Amino acid sequence: MNKTEYLKKLTDELGHMPYGDVKDIIQSIEEHFEEGISEGRSEEEIAESLGDPKELAMEFKDGAKFKQIIKKRKMSDNFKGPDGRGRIFVIVFNAFVGIEMWLLFLAAIIAAFMFLAGDCAIIGLIVAGLVAGTLMEYIIPFIFLVLTLICVAVFLIVLLILGIKYYAKGLKSYIRWNKNVWNYGLGED
Amino acid sequence: MNSQIKKGVLDLCVLALLEKGDSYGYDLAGNLARKVEVADGTVYPILRKLASEGVVSTYLQESQNGPPRKYYHLTDAGRNKLNAERDEWIKFCGEVNEILSKGNGGKADE
Repeated sequence: MNKTEYLKKLTDELGHMPYGDVKDIIQSIEEHFEEGISEGRSEEEIAESLGDPKELAMEFKDGAKFKQIIKKRKMSDNFKGPDGRGRIFVIVFNAFVGIEMWLLFLAAIIAAFMFLAGDCAIIGLIVAGLVAGTLMEYIIPFIFLVLTLICVAVFLIVLLILGIKYYAKGLKSYIRWNKNVWNYGLGED
Repeated sequence: MNSQIKKGVLDLCVLALLEKGDSYGYDLAGNLARKVEVADGTVYPILRKLASEGVVSTYLQESQNGPPRKYYHLTDAGRNKLNAERDEWIKFCGEVNEILSKGNGGKADE
């Protein structure tokens, strides 16, 4: 395994870690490779001595879990019954900002869906017209129009897939954050 | 050797290596892997964990050849932890050795 393959495998195995952490980890392992290379070792040799990337990723993830446990413990150590201010904050924040924001995002996704449906319908109509021969006079412009519309459709599909993915992810962590504030109040961090 | 046993004490080994002076990942990995049978990579998750606990701190320093190196420094909290846990470990090892040594046969003191 060479350097690129090793780093790729390690990144894949790190999976759902926050982006900043993954970047940091990859940077330190990349630095390790660079040091070894400047000593005249081969990339394969360095990769071999670093150990299985899957196992290494596991050790990094165990460390991160440990960090979370420490944080939780610190929180519950400081816990002095439900924090009234934290609960009021959650209610007010959701009423005026939180829920509206998520609904707005949802509306944007639905709008993109409708736009995509309209786009596909127009493509269908034009293609049907071309096949039936009714649009024969303007065949070249219509073909260009269809191609453009197909590009728009592909763009929208990619946008929607990413949008829905991050919407779900974001909503999940937003709910987790709310729960934390609800239960433990507004911490220092 | 059983990796569960090793895991617990490797943190302490890394702290001890840093007691001699600040060092960077590649150097620490080599020093650790030369003495204990572990993969070179093992040191990096440990360093990360130690940094998040605040027992080591990091800073970047230019190197003669290549990109800047990330150096690790033992903090005061780290020094305290090392001193406390080192004594504990040495004491524990003595006790375990006494039980395990063949001459003694595991017999209790009389």
